[in-house]
Amino acid sequence: MSNQPVSRPNSPTGSAKTDLAITVVLIAIAIALPFFVDSRYVMGQIVLALFYATIASQWNLLFGFSGIFSLAQMAIFAFGGYATAMICFYFGWNVWAAVVPGAVGAMIFSLAVGLACLRLTGVYVALLTLAIAQTMYQLIVTDTECFTMVGSICRQFTGGAVGFARFGELGTRALLKGQWLVGNYAIVATLFAITMLFTYAIIKSPIGLAFRALKDNPGYAVARGVNRFQAQLLVFGISAFFTGLAGGFYAAHFQAIGPGILSMSQLMFIIAVVVVGGVGTFWGPLVGTVILVAADELMREAGEFRTFGLGIIIALSIILMPKGLVGRLGDLVRWSRKRGQAAHREKLAESPAPAGE
Amino acid sequence: MTLDILMSILVAGITTGALYALATVGLSLVWGSMGMLNMAHAAMLTMGGYAAFTVSSALGLPVIAGFAGAIVIGMIGGSLLYMLIVRNLLKNDKSTFESNVMIATVGIGIALENAILMIYGGQPLKQPLSIPGTLMLGPLALPYQNIVIILTVVVLMAFIALLLNRTRMGRAIRATAQNRDAAQLMGVAVNRVYFQVLVLSGGLAGICGVMVSSITQLSPPLGNDPMLKAFIMCVVAGLGNLPGAVAAAFGLALLEAFIQYAAGARWGFPSLLFVVIAVLIWRPSGLFGRAQIRRL
Repeated sequence: MSNQPVSRPNSPTGSAKTDLAITVVLIAIAIALPFFVDSRYVMGQIVLALFYATIASQWNLLFGFSGIFSLAQMAIFAFGGYATAMICFYFGWNVWAAVVPGAVGAMIFSLAVGLACLRLTGVYVALLTLAIAQTMYQLIVTDTECFTMVGSICRQFTGGAVGFARFGELGTRALLKGQWLVGNYAIVATLFAITMLFTYAIIKSPIGLAFRALKDNPGYAVARGVNRFQAQLLVFGISAFFTGLAGGFYAAHFQAIGPGILSMSQLMFIIAVVVVGGVGTFWGPLVGTVILVAADELMREAGEFRTFGLGIIIALSIILMPKGLVGRLGDLVRWSRKRGQAAHREKLAESPAPAGE
Repeated sequence: MTLDILMSILVAGITTGALYALATVGLSLVWGSMGMLNMAHAAMLTMGGYAAFTVSSALGLPVIAGFAGAIVIGMIGGSLLYMLIVRNLLKNDKSTFESNVMIATVGIGIALENAILMIYGGQPLKQPLSIPGTLMLGPLALPYQNIVIILTVVVLMAFIALLLNRTRMGRAIRATAQNRDAAQLMGVAVNRVYFQVLVLSGGLAGICGVMVSSITQLSPPLGNDPMLKAFIMCVVAGLGNLPGAVAAAFGLALLEAFIQYAAGARWGFPSLLFVVIAVLIWRPSGLFGRAQIRRL
């Protein structure tokens, strides 16, 4: 058939040495960034981008590395954020104490979703998770029953269409005064780094291999003794923990959370980030975030064309580069290497060819 | 008076059931024959509704022209979807087609919805293709609009059934659905079948959009709610099973109407979802689904 190799010699993450080099460069950039950026707006967008990158990396762990097309990613993120906000709002906890219970809550929610959905495969999972996310959105938005009274204002249990605000903060304002945004940046960047570190460890571990095997050839993986349901439930739980944690910090950073983050366009943005960056590549989500946030900023000038442009970008990039930018780059490297090898082999093959006649 | 309420719930349930059936068949046809989940179906529904609006109120043409306009726009949408997206994605690796086409159509859907928002604005518009008045049959009040919807859907279902069972094209579609490679080896032009199916499904979406907007209002997210429900109906019936999809659409729509009456409108969809999940735990490939999913 085609002369493409059946198994790719490189793992999707590239070699460990390259990853280490990239990490060192990224950490240097991350530390240097606050000294070069003095616009508060840009800094705010960078923090937001880090949240996107965190969510996208976890969706990539689900879809890119484990082959589960879940559309409940923003619902889990929102669950973490809501849980954190509600713990602070109703029990008066400090935000720092509430983020971990919030993340655990998101994990439990995700496991429940997984128990219901992961018996199925492929598009069935996508449809059910989408339906669950939409149900969550509708139930929150249509919640009108008074749960408590704050002053003379009625508060719904889920915050209703308005959501929660002013339930606490990360404490950086008191500590750093005018530079609080840099403090929040440091917190969110650390969160992103820890998430990536854990994700890397999971991908490289035996269980990560099981996830990948289930994605690449479910029949073979199961025949070799991998329990599909258990393994996929596990990856659902792991990714939900970090997604929920990001949700908690998101709520704390903006000091507000509302049903808006459950909207379709937010979910699309995360999918677009992963698709443009490269599905199933470790650095893909980060690359995708940088490119899409930059494109988003440029399209902001165009105003209402923003969502339209995003949709077109998603469709075009999946057609033109199904493996994303990082995947394309990998292809390029492999192609040039193979060309070098092929030229070498041709030279060897030239002499024995007539002898075969 | 309880009979009255029961009757109006039944009428509402059957009408929405007919609409869901139309949306579900459009989705299920595409899934069954080509393994493609068309996430842009909602946008095609909306496009149909707006096309009818434009033709009959902005251009002032008769109602039937508006209806035809919706079908034509839907069909054009379907054919563009094939030429710009599906044909290109089919060139890639077969195993990635399923998820890639889903992502690509998600993008197209969101772009189309936004384009409609930019052209027509966000405020709800009234669909001119609606018939006022009610037919009184003793205690039973039947709005003419509902009668028209139910009759149109029945006619369309019969048309699709005939098309699939009696024509050469239908035979090719069924053959492709059963086994793509075998059909191709037997000389079926599989790519042409894909094109035909998408055009057909686009036309159905256009009609469905007109119908949905005639009992509600025209707004850019018009198609999202029917599509979401059509999704879970497809899942309950087993994706790709047309008679099952129709049965599930009517059954679930009636159930939804009853729950909305008994427990309030906001619990309608969550209860449907609960039923669907319960069904799927019991039968993972849907009530009538072919055992496409290997249980691993």
